[in-house]
Amino acid sequence: MIKKSIWVFHLNSGSCNACDIEILDILTPFHDAERLGVKLVGSPRHADAILFTGPVTRQNVDKVIEAIRAVPEPKYLLAIGSCACGGGIWHDSFATLGGVQKLYGILKSMGIKPPKTIYVPGCPPRPEAILHAIAYLKGIVTKKVKRTIFEEK
Amino acid sequence: MTRKLMAKQNIGKTLEVILENFRDAILKYEMVASNKILLHVDSRHLKNLTEYLLYSLKTRYCTSAGVDERPLSEDFKVYHIFSLDADKAFIILSVRAPSTLLKLPSITPSIPGAEWAEREIRDFFGIEFEGHPNPKRLVLPDDWPADVFPLRKDFKYNLKDVPSKAPKRIFRAPSKSEYVVPIGPYHPALHEPEYFRIYVSKGEIVDAEYRGFGVFRGIEKLAEGKLKYNQIPFIAERICGICGFTHSSCYCQAVETASGIEVPERAQYVRTIMLELERIHSHLLWLGVACHLLGFDTGFMHCWRIRERVMDLCEIITGNRKTYGLNLVGGVRRDINEKAKAKIIKFAENMCKELRELMDVLLSMGEIISRTKEIGVLGKKDARKLCVVGPVARASGIKIDSRVDHPYFAYKELSFNVPVYSEGDVLARLMVRVDEIYASAEIIEHALDKLPKGDLMAEEIDIPANVRDVAATEAPRGENVHFIITGVENRIYRWKVRAPTYNNLPAVPYMLRGESLADAPIIIASIDPCFSCTDRITVIDAETGKFVSNPFKWR
Amino acid sequence: MGRFSLLGKSRKVGVVTEKYPFKPTELPEGFRGKPEINVEKCIGCGACVAECPPNALTMEDRDGYRVIRLFYGRCIFCGRCADVCPEEAISLTMEFELTSDTLTDLVQEVKLKMVKCIVCGRYYGTERHQRKIIEAMKSQGIELDPEIMYRCPEHRADTGAKLIGLRRESK
Repeated sequence: MIKKSIWVFHLNSGSCNACDIEILDILTPFHDAERLGVKLVGSPRHADAILFTGPVTRQNVDKVIEAIRAVPEPKYLLAIGSCACGGGIWHDSFATLGGVQKLYGILKSMGIKPPKTIYVPGCPPRPEAILHAIAYLKGIVTKKVKRTIFEEK
Repeated sequence: MTRKLMAKQNIGKTLEVILENFRDAILKYEMVASNKILLHVDSRHLKNLTEYLLYSLKTRYCTSAGVDERPLSEDFKVYHIFSLDADKAFIILSVRAPSTLLKLPSITPSIPGAEWAEREIRDFFGIEFEGHPNPKRLVLPDDWPADVFPLRKDFKYNLKDVPSKAPKRIFRAPSKSEYVVPIGPYHPALHEPEYFRIYVSKGEIVDAEYRGFGVFRGIEKLAEGKLKYNQIPFIAERICGICGFTHSSCYCQAVETASGIEVPERAQYVRTIMLELERIHSHLLWLGVACHLLGFDTGFMHCWRIRERVMDLCEIITGNRKTYGLNLVGGVRRDINEKAKAKIIKFAENMCKELRELMDVLLSMGEIISRTKEIGVLGKKDARKLCVVGPVARASGIKIDSRVDHPYFAYKELSFNVPVYSEGDVLARLMVRVDEIYASAEIIEHALDKLPKGDLMAEEIDIPANVRDVAATEAPRGENVHFIITGVENRIYRWKVRAPTYNNLPAVPYMLRGESLADAPIIIASIDPCFSCTDRITVIDAETGKFVSNPFKWR
Repeated sequence: MGRFSLLGKSRKVGVVTEKYPFKPTELPEGFRGKPEINVEKCIGCGACVAECPPNALTMEDRDGYRVIRLFYGRCIFCGRCADVCPEEAISLTMEFELTSDTLTDLVQEVKLKMVKCIVCGRYYGTERHQRKIIEAMKSQGIELDPEIMYRCPEHRADTGAKLIGLRRESK
């Protein structure tokens, strides 16, 4: 949980831009994430949280790893959209890794601790869904989803 | 449903002329549809036939697609697609490359616009093009091994553990007097991961290199290897998040014309209305981004305020703000009911009024005019040689628009205004897009007026195997071309997508010629680049205004 | 002056910012939110699994149970599963606030009991699916013989062949 304002850095690892447009949308007056203290910064070294989109294309893996390493601790990563959460419709393509979990596998094998992650499913997620995630980070709202298992008796 | 194969008067005559002049070059010909000719050409005569098509028949080059037809016992094939706008027709040349000798003559020396298409075919299939001036890797990641070709049929789409070669260094080191300014892949001004490498000497740009295609995700291979016909519209929509509906409509149109499926009229009108709503959304988005790049952030916020209503409207009709998920092969999934109709009409009126007020303000500001008038000029001759499409072409005086040249859906029955300006500068491109927003609002009103009653989905959907077809739609950025070969067992055999930005990006060096560095962002943004395709800036010596590296000689 | 009229415009339009997340937001009818499987209606046929473009729905036969797993993280909210389900057991709700700090919370699993073939003992289908077939045929006036019914497709084909007087080698 972050008590103060969150400075975010936008990282596109090969998305189609729909999620990126919704991220830009929350910085416009209709959804205004600045009420919650969010500011878009230009360098990962100034950021508290990374707004991550895209299924991590093979071309971008090393650059993404460098950008994530540049964010100082404590850091958060918001995986926005179905591509970042689970690889989306590209999850088994030869040209993508398939989402942030696979990226963390590579980070762990390099001895780097992965950042704390918040997942925001959607294709693209509504701006309100991204605001919900930021509000959750700040402790204003609670999580609504839970794993449900039904077993027939 | 059988397809009518009667040749239209004009295209029949054109075919006769070609057959007369190139009797030995053409091994076989077929009329794929009443306005599409497929010619199987002997590769030794390819160059002559290409130049004849370009200069005598005045066709326009669209794209080239490579196909691995070994399972169909046809070796490898390359299809070169040309559009004959005057006859509203397509001419497809197909050349065969035997698997024992994967070499074909390159058409790039005659058509510079084919350079990237051939490099892409080389990346994916391993076919070498003799005479190609720049046979380097284009699309695949840097660390991909040189002897693995993903789009061949023996490569599985989900092979994730292809060994990684150490990346080859493809950028040159700066000389003593130069300083390298790297921009990207993660830069505050860029939304996509691309890498610009700018060499600056004494405060002026002297060289620039570029590495794009960071967004390559293997769309075409996924469609061939894994997805069924009715799942592909969903992946097509996610090629680009801004103009996704045009891609899924173009794909559905290609499969429907290939199979002779009759899409009900109401579905065609619904598709047309959604396409125009997407155009309005895309142009308003671009207008906001252009204002932001000119330093006018208030204009950016106002444009996006007007645009927000389109998103809400689309959510009411389709259930989602973007990636509508409306298209299936044979029709659409949801309808526009009376309540939505009333809302669309109200929105169109309000939006035009608000946009007019905003444009009054924009055009009365001296700063905006002086930063866009006579900046980044692309002359009509250059535009024609480079085969640019969309608003970039229409701002340089070339009247091409797929809705008129290759009519589809309800555009066949609606009449609308296609704005054309002749100055070719950034202001002309801005005015073309604004005028298109007003024209789209009118098209929507007419289409809603004429919206016929009926079904939303075709009754008979039977897709024959091994049919080649091509379809084009007018995306907000220009002409989209999709080439397909249908397959068996509910799977497509080959799907090639050419987005409009592919043709528009080579025009950027011409526009940047002689301009100051501060104007570079707005000039690049004025073609409305959708960076799923790549960019390539050639070298400009700012002092002399001459190109330092551009190997082509224009005729 | 041109540009200052924008100030007047801003004042006229007023504050457009939504009150969310402090107040709930309005959603249009037909909004495509989180999909949910109705555990009473699902029969485990797998039509949704075959149709899902990103494979967010997966099916696994494990220890006598058929497990249908819905992973929202990869879902693209297209609604094709709802289109093809023969029992209308899966539909898209209006929920969009799906934030989670773990991927395991983004899962719904439905485990249905399977039946064994009376000949070879292999599990081949869910109990619910078989019951549905029997009921459907009963409503058409056909009583299905359990001797023929509770067989895997391979051994059912044998019986069918025998009934019409053909011999068939079973693998």
